[in-house]
Amino acid sequence: MSSSHAKDPSFLGGRIPPEIESMSRNLKDVDHELFRKLLKAVVSALEGKDCREVMRSVAEGSVIPQERLSHIIAGMHRLLSEAIRIPPSSLKQEAFKDDLRMLKMPEDFITDFSSVVFGSRRAALEAASSQKDPHLPTLEEFKWRVDVSISTSSLSRALQPSVLTQMKLSDGTFHRFEVN
Amino acid sequence: MTSIIKETQSIKEAVTFINEIDANKFPRLISRIIQKLHLKGERTFSEEEEQKLRAALSLDKRALNLVLETSAFILEQAVYHNIKPAALQQQLEVIHLNPEKAEVFSQSWAAAGPELVEKLKRNIFAPKKLEHVGWQLNLQMAQSSQTRLKSPSAVLQLGIKSEDSEAQENVFVEFNHQQLLEFYNKLEVVQGQLDSLT
Repeated sequence: MSSSHAKDPSFLGGRIPPEIESMSRNLKDVDHELFRKLLKAVVSALEGKDCREVMRSVAEGSVIPQERLSHIIAGMHRLLSEAIRIPPSSLKQEAFKDDLRMLKMPEDFITDFSSVVFGSRRAALEAASSQKDPHLPTLEEFKWRVDVSISTSSLSRALQPSVLTQMKLSDGTFHRFEVN
Repeated sequence: MTSIIKETQSIKEAVTFINEIDANKFPRLISRIIQKLHLKGERTFSEEEEQKLRAALSLDKRALNLVLETSAFILEQAVYHNIKPAALQQQLEVIHLNPEKAEVFSQSWAAAGPELVEKLKRNIFAPKKLEHVGWQLNLQMAQSSQTRLKSPSAVLQLGIKSEDSEAQENVFVEFNHQQLLEFYNKLEVVQGQLDSLT
């Protein structure tokens, strides 16, 4: 058994995803300010916000051709998504940074990525991405009332309690039914 | 107690037929009717069975219908007023049912009545009723956006039946621990309200 690999495999897996490789190549001679603007826009997109306007204005104000920018943005999106998927207990900050160093990225950029993945915005990113996961509807609202049937067409003295419930589910459906 | 059966022309005619029915065959007839009384809209006897009955009781189609309908009506009234068996017997004799037949009604009512009342109470109509609850407790290991989860989730399957159709609708609702606990607490409040009624 070869022991040449002292380090665990990168959080990106055995093979670096093509978008991330392409991003690494295209990040050459991108200044820190532009990098930060792009990163900010990608984080917003991951949080579920509409970023087309922001992206457009960043692209217009930059000398870098649009095609290169799109490679960078795609790579950032993929990198952050993959990192967020793994719980912090499994992927520690130092290991994450080491993996990024393998991509030969400037240290400043690595720090910025790291502060997104391990900083205060992580919870919002996780919440936004789990929205897209398959799940059954959850209970949003539960209303109820207790009734007593005093009399019916079959029974002059019924005195039968029952519960009428109304459930509103996360998929927007309403269900009103009786439970006895 | 006010009489629960008014002696109309139709009742008089039915009584005549009932009184003539063989005393041995009558108890089973009434027993069968009372068993099916809570099933609204369903015929007590199939077409074939009615044919056999007509032969066995020597009644033509019209006469048998009258006997079956009237017997059912007597029992429905008994249920509605929740009359005591002795009172029922008395009232049936007032409308000239012979004592033997009145006793059969009264005994069937005494035997099967309480259960019938319970069935009817449970059957009180509502547009939609919860018929069945199924559940599953899952341990979610991962999802597209998250690896290594190990988060428990419960799924409730609510089988809801509509009053006007045979089909049951299945509603699935998912809960995590917190959501399930909140739901449970709400149900406890409802139960508390129900308990305070009795």
